[in-house]
Amino acid sequence: MLSYILKRLLLTVPTLSLVAVAVFLLIRLIPGDPALVLLGESADAASLAAMRADLGLDHPLPVQFLSWLQHALHGDLGRSIVSGEPVAALILQRFGLTAAVVLVAVTAATVIAASAGLIAAWRRNSAVDLAVVGAATVVLAIPSFWLGMVLLLLFGLKLGWLPFVGYIPFSESAVQAMLFLVMPVMTLTITESGVLTRMMRSSSIDVLQLDYVTHARAKGLSERAVLTRHVFPNAFAPTLTLVGLTLGHLLGGIAVIETVFTLPGLGRLMVDSVLARDYPVVQGCLLFTAVVYVVVNLVVDLCYPLFDPRVTAR
Amino acid sequence: MMDRFGHLGWNALIGVPLVAGLLVIIGIGIIWMPYDPIAIDLAHPLGSPGLYHWFGTDEFGRDVLSRSMLGARISVLLALATVAVAITLGAVLGLLAGYLRGWTDRLLMMITDAVLAFPGILLALALIAVLGSSDGSIVLALSTAYTPSVVRVVRATVLSIREREFIEASRTAGDSPFETISRHILPNVLPPVVVLATSLFGWAMLSESALSFLGVGVPPPAPTWGNMLSESRPYMDVASWLSIVPGLCIAGTLLGVNLLGDALRDWLDPRRQT
Amino acid sequence: MARSAHLAHVLGTLAVSGALALGLLAWQVAAATGAVLRARLKSDIVSTNPGTRRDENTDAVLLHIIEGLVASREDGSPGPMLASRWTVSADGRVYTFTLRSDVVFHNGAPLTAAEVIWSLQRYLNPQTRWRCLAEFGDHGIARVLSITAPDAHTVVITLDRAAPMFLTTLVRADCGGTGILHPDSVDADGNWRAPIGTGPFELGEWRHNQFIELHRFAHYSPLPGVRDGNAGGKHALVDHIRFLIIPDSSAARAALIRGSLDILDNLAASELIGIRGRPDIKFQQVPILDCYALLLQTRDPLLSDVRLRTAIALTIDTAGLTKAITWGTGTADNSPIPVASPFYGAAEAHIRQPDVAQARRLLRAAGYRGQPIQLVTSRRDPEMFDTAVVIQAMAAQAGIQLHIDLVDWPAHLSRYTVGNYQLMVQSFSARLDPALSFGIFIGDKREEPRKVWDTPHSRELLAQTMASAEPAARQPVFDALTREFLDEVPAVVLFNSSRLAAVRSNVTGYQNWTAAQQRLWGVGLN
Repeated sequence: MLSYILKRLLLTVPTLSLVAVAVFLLIRLIPGDPALVLLGESADAASLAAMRADLGLDHPLPVQFLSWLQHALHGDLGRSIVSGEPVAALILQRFGLTAAVVLVAVTAATVIAASAGLIAAWRRNSAVDLAVVGAATVVLAIPSFWLGMVLLLLFGLKLGWLPFVGYIPFSESAVQAMLFLVMPVMTLTITESGVLTRMMRSSSIDVLQLDYVTHARAKGLSERAVLTRHVFPNAFAPTLTLVGLTLGHLLGGIAVIETVFTLPGLGRLMVDSVLARDYPVVQGCLLFTAVVYVVVNLVVDLCYPLFDPRVTAR
Repeated sequence: MMDRFGHLGWNALIGVPLVAGLLVIIGIGIIWMPYDPIAIDLAHPLGSPGLYHWFGTDEFGRDVLSRSMLGARISVLLALATVAVAITLGAVLGLLAGYLRGWTDRLLMMITDAVLAFPGILLALALIAVLGSSDGSIVLALSTAYTPSVVRVVRATVLSIREREFIEASRTAGDSPFETISRHILPNVLPPVVVLATSLFGWAMLSESALSFLGVGVPPPAPTWGNMLSESRPYMDVASWLSIVPGLCIAGTLLGVNLLGDALRDWLDPRRQT
Repeated sequence: MARSAHLAHVLGTLAVSGALALGLLAWQVAAATGAVLRARLKSDIVSTNPGTRRDENTDAVLLHIIEGLVASREDGSPGPMLASRWTVSADGRVYTFTLRSDVVFHNGAPLTAAEVIWSLQRYLNPQTRWRCLAEFGDHGIARVLSITAPDAHTVVITLDRAAPMFLTTLVRADCGGTGILHPDSVDADGNWRAPIGTGPFELGEWRHNQFIELHRFAHYSPLPGVRDGNAGGKHALVDHIRFLIIPDSSAARAALIRGSLDILDNLAASELIGIRGRPDIKFQQVPILDCYALLLQTRDPLLSDVRLRTAIALTIDTAGLTKAITWGTGTADNSPIPVASPFYGAAEAHIRQPDVAQARRLLRAAGYRGQPIQLVTSRRDPEMFDTAVVIQAMAAQAGIQLHIDLVDWPAHLSRYTVGNYQLMVQSFSARLDPALSFGIFIGDKREEPRKVWDTPHSRELLAQTMASAEPAARQPVFDALTREFLDEVPAVVLFNSSRLAAVRSNVTGYQNWTAAQQRLWGVGLN
């Protein structure tokens, strides 16, 4: 098992290296000079040159890359050009918020999807099924940021029930922090539950038609036992894979939702730093999300056998 | 009665009119729109929906209905172009990887995984920033982000069928690889690719809107539903129709396309009816 | 039936907990307003080191903490701050400042000439990266030959030549007001620590991207008299100031309405609609000395023809454009001198009237055949973006094909700096002196490609305005410059915006001024 994990991790090294080089080059290809952005419109040539030297941008590219890589391998991702903060700390802090929103939302969406999908498959072609499929299909079609805007409009502006002045960390006030997160989490939950529900329903239908389910029913097991002990674990496996992919993808940044609700999350950090040409932050963020993506996929793959039919069916 | 309809019926029943309706609106828009979508009228900004402007006007006094119609054309064309490029490129690469295997396969998969590890929006954002904001760069950026998915699907399909008997038969019969691919592999690759294409269309449309929302995207004054949504934000509470109309347009289009895609999938593979 | 009852139960629980949570929130908010004045910044400050890494927000915050020898009055002229008075030698080269004797730093140390000399020499040290160092170099206003202290309360600065703009330069916000710092602001190796200044507030906590907190400095001795720009009497009427960082305008507006924010400065014009007419919110509008302009690249083959440039200018209905883009809060202005400047007179008030017919004639004469001309803009602020959209529509009336090249701010700035554009919409922050306003446009493109007006005569006139400090001598030169600017059309100045602020009704004494810089001294809470 351990060697399998190690082997998998080792296989990701070439991919991650490619990502690192690609990010490094791509961000520098975008026209615009971070030194100039820092100094503003009336900067003179001498100040610009001095600033570029301060930022280490006057060295040749390979030198810059190797220097960054060497520091990164020791955990030092440099300092933000815009704020001077250490990039690693900045990323972790922002990631904390994004992860909180994503994990809560995806968990809620999974619970909703698992139950709704299973019930819809169980009562296939009934009114319940139609309602579930209809709702899931409609939800799939709604752009997440539009949903966010509508919720904001409704609950924030028109009704005034929920605040949205940006974010206050838990350390300062847990109540306020949670209130601010209600709408973004709600938005993400709704948006993600659509595709998960459909997947769960689809695989539940497949499993419900399998022989051993008929077998289990014939043995006299209650319908509830059949559903919870035989159908659900096996139907859930593909949905779990999808959950993993979704998590990996969302943890990489829910930039648009964070923009709508002005949450200082990882997604916004990435977008803002690209738009500000904050090279160290962009590089650090992308490396971080690539690693997260790889790790999450690995974890999901490892969990899969828990639900594998060959293990649970008797 | 429900059973007889099946979901193929429902999907098509709702999907077809929606998509047809969209095409009709786009068609009408090519010949006629109530107002010039880019003509400004500084004297009447933020007009609420009424007799003269069914969907109201935006902050420059431009007619929202006309802009939505033009936006339909632009958004749909951009999404279609993205799908076309991604499918073509992805299919070619996927076929190469799946059929040739070996180092070609490994190299292509490494590149594909590397691209997939990038958050899609970021990749598109960076590419557009490099190439400049234009229709072409948006299509290029989005298709770069989506090609890996196509590569993966095509490659998986090719891998699963390349060992089947009729492929072996084709090879022993002396067919060139090109003939083997085109006569035997391609027809089997087509169904999942077609299904993927409908999903891709939806994703492409959403991504274009998201990019416009983030501030990059089709430059003004051309409207897309995405940039109309983005520009409506400062006026959300005083001119909510500016936010609602483009959103409904996107949602309606996606609903139609998704349902049509589902109907298509059921039709292509009735065993997997959902 | 059972399900709907269950649903009602769930909704009810949610509603109750929601109400409880809101109540808690309101209570917390109420408790906080007692001692803290909450203002808003659109983005985080970039540094606490004055005059180095900076932007407008950074300048505004730091000017609460530090003060220079002189400070800018409302009319742009330099007034006493840490220097109670000064004299200038007959040849204009030697400035003798008499320091006030009642000033202490935030760490308790008294202000003496030693700290002044240390601060000034630190700014002049290239290692510090002072933004205004270039002004005291080869292409600047003068070189500093020496800074000496005949006694503990006198500082003498000797320049290599007469520089009437010397004090005007010192007071510039982007120079950090040339604020005097205590040497403990840096550590033993000269690395920056924290600003220890003499201002009415001292730096508290800076939580990145959330807020910056300032505390009242108990031992501040204000100058006599009223608040006058950054000069005059500065009184800290609250114990704490908290600058909340709220990038989103509608979120800021909602915060103000809810009472989580006391002062909302730099309101976007489009935000007015939601705030006007509320009984608990007062509203202010002050014209500022900024400038929005359409720049034309005279080196471009098409645009090198003044007839084409004039044609473009003639399609623009400045008044209509201004009214629409600023929602009636801006002031139309075709002169580089802002309307709120004391130097804005009859010559500057000339507004070009749109004349599409004449534009068409000029286009024909220039041989324009409908070639697309690129117009660069960005979304840095809504006015920049909207201006481009409107100009494009207006130019189309005369058959001028403008294509908008939408880039992001860094790319916009880059292209501006190297002159890589045909047309560009650009905004310029407040300049307190008209010479600085003209200085935005006038220069030698070979040395500074961002300048748009590159003629020897304009440079000559500009130098004349900087050769004297007498308004009576400078006004006719500014008038001449304006006339030439309107004739040669190296750029089309469009409007000056107004600084819009909304404050809650329990806030007293808040007043914006033409420098567009938030000032929270003299502001109290009831």
